Amino acid sequence: MKSTMSGNENMIVLKDLSKTYKVGPSTVRAVDSVDLEIPMGQMVSIVGHSGSGKTTLLSLMGGLTKPSSGRVLLDDVNIWNLSDKEMSLMRNMKIGFSFQFASLMPTLNALDNVRLPSTFGDNPEADLNRPEELLNLVGLGDRMHSYPGQLSGGEQRRVALARTLMNKPELILADEPTGDLDEETEADILETFRKINEDGVTIVIVTHSRVVASRAQRILRMTKGHLSDNEE
Amino acid sequence: MKRLGLLYLAAQNLRRKPFRSFVTIAIVGLAAGTLFSATLLIGSVDRSLEVGMERLGADLLVVPEGYQESGQAALITGAPTSFYMSRSVLDQVRATPGVDQASPQLFIESLLSVPCCTGRAQLVGYDPDTDFVITPWLNDNLNRSLEKDEVVIGSLILANKGEQVHFYGQAFNVAGVLDATGMGADESVFMKIDDAYQMAADSSIQAVEPIDVKPGQISSVLVKMAPGTNIDQLSQRIKTNVPGTMIITANELSRSVTDRLSGFTRGFIAIDAIVWVMSLLTIAAIFSMIVNERQREIGLLRAMGASRKFVFRLMLTEAVFLTAAGGLVGIFIGGAGLFIFKAVITTSLGIPYLWPPLLTFVKLTLITLLLAIATGAAASLYPAYSSSRLEPYAAIRQGE
Repeated sequence: MKSTMSGNENMIVLKDLSKTYKVGPSTVRAVDSVDLEIPMGQMVSIVGHSGSGKTTLLSLMGGLTKPSSGRVLLDDVNIWNLSDKEMSLMRNMKIGFSFQFASLMPTLNALDNVRLPSTFGDNPEADLNRPEELLNLVGLGDRMHSYPGQLSGGEQRRVALARTLMNKPELILADEPTGDLDEETEADILETFRKINEDGVTIVIVTHSRVVASRAQRILRMTKGHLSDNEE
Repeated sequence: MKRLGLLYLAAQNLRRKPFRSFVTIAIVGLAAGTLFSATLLIGSVDRSLEVGMERLGADLLVVPEGYQESGQAALITGAPTSFYMSRSVLDQVRATPGVDQASPQLFIESLLSVPCCTGRAQLVGYDPDTDFVITPWLNDNLNRSLEKDEVVIGSLILANKGEQVHFYGQAFNVAGVLDATGMGADESVFMKIDDAYQMAADSSIQAVEPIDVKPGQISSVLVKMAPGTNIDQLSQRIKTNVPGTMIITANELSRSVTDRLSGFTRGFIAIDAIVWVMSLLTIAAIFSMIVNERQREIGLLRAMGASRKFVFRLMLTEAVFLTAAGGLVGIFIGGAGLFIFKAVITTSLGIPYLWPPLLTFVKLTLITLLLAIATGAAASLYPAYSSSRLEPYAAIRQGE
């Protein structure tokens, strides 16, 4: 599948991208010859069954795993031509990841967890008051000094979301960001994504949820490693 | 608000498994403590020998046959002893070719109930006319010789300059206190040999127990060799020329102490080597475990923008924190243990002891600490490296 938005700058371009794994004697093609262009500021959802390769595709977009073949261009830069330092900096400054599990550091309180991404960047002008603002934004202004073990699952997700936004990313890659959350928290998080997207941030959401997927401007379907437009 | 630093993150990580951190600190502490205390002990014995030999000032001692061991014990640990031979030995020794200076000493054990001392003290009578041990010290420190009934005392004798000490019913004024040597001199009281003879003569009237020594008797002859003399040849000549005597050389004294220490040193090297290897393996195992347990966290850190170098340094910093803490704990406990049990150790091993100068102490502390830190760094090197090489996505998935 190929989607081209002529005249728009693309945030993500995937070219003939594949990822294979060796499982015993056989080879599994988790992502199979995917071509994709996602313009800046677009909100895209990727749906598909478990094991269809959605999460692997998301990880390839974020440079978390190396493709077996093909290219990943972020903002016109082939990310696998970057050094580890440059790639790390790119992840730090450009991308915000949101995972499908509670991804907080257990030894850091909410405030420090949100602050963590600023540790790795080299931006001396980083707004170091931002963690407090973000925790207020996600409604946890009164839980700043709580540790993950003292927070509910929904609260932990909201802290993780605040952390995702810490370095003002241009691209958010979210893997089941509302999985196992109650409807109210899910609605809060989706509303936050909507607002961020309105500010021009590109968002790619991998989800099982039709409700979540329907919030995107574009829905793609992953089937056995192949990406296609959703035709449901 | 400040950024989170590497050190803060490392410290926070270590807090989550306090027992494991405690075990690592304890193992490194054991290794560091053993190394520190044993090296300090050996160094202190060496220093004591160096200072003690300088104080002894003689190349060799002539003692009556059969009293070589008790003479050595008196010189090394201050174990009181008394043995006598005829003063004619002094003339015979002096007449031996290769002898530059010879001076007699008289050894008398004090009575048990002397207030100045724990147990018996060694009273040493020296001849001010020929002495080359106490006299130079008196010249340097008092600028005079001892008056009648004056004594110079070792550093462990419980009296101060200007006070009086009593032996065999006779009062002596303390003219000076010698610097510590860690050897027998610290528990000795030096007086003029004529005062010692007088004290012995009066002891039958003034003391509970009389001293059985007469003028014309001496305990040892201190000998300084003429330049260019071979000490073994001189010892042999004295033994031949002066029948009924034995020779204690300064080298023999050192060797005697070294021999006593050798078993301890061998045991220490074996034990400490085992403990260090154990620490190295334990830290390596613990950090491999930590890397396995924290794969998802490492993956997340990488996703947030932590570079491989940062992850590597984080792991290394955690190891260094633990081993530095272990090193400090070991140094403190090892040092305190040696301080508390010094008397038991030196008595049971029969060795002299003198705390090293501050600079040596600081150097040894730093070396032990650096060794502990290097052990931690070396042991965690591979786990830290492998954690930094984890592919973020694989790390996150494997941690699920």
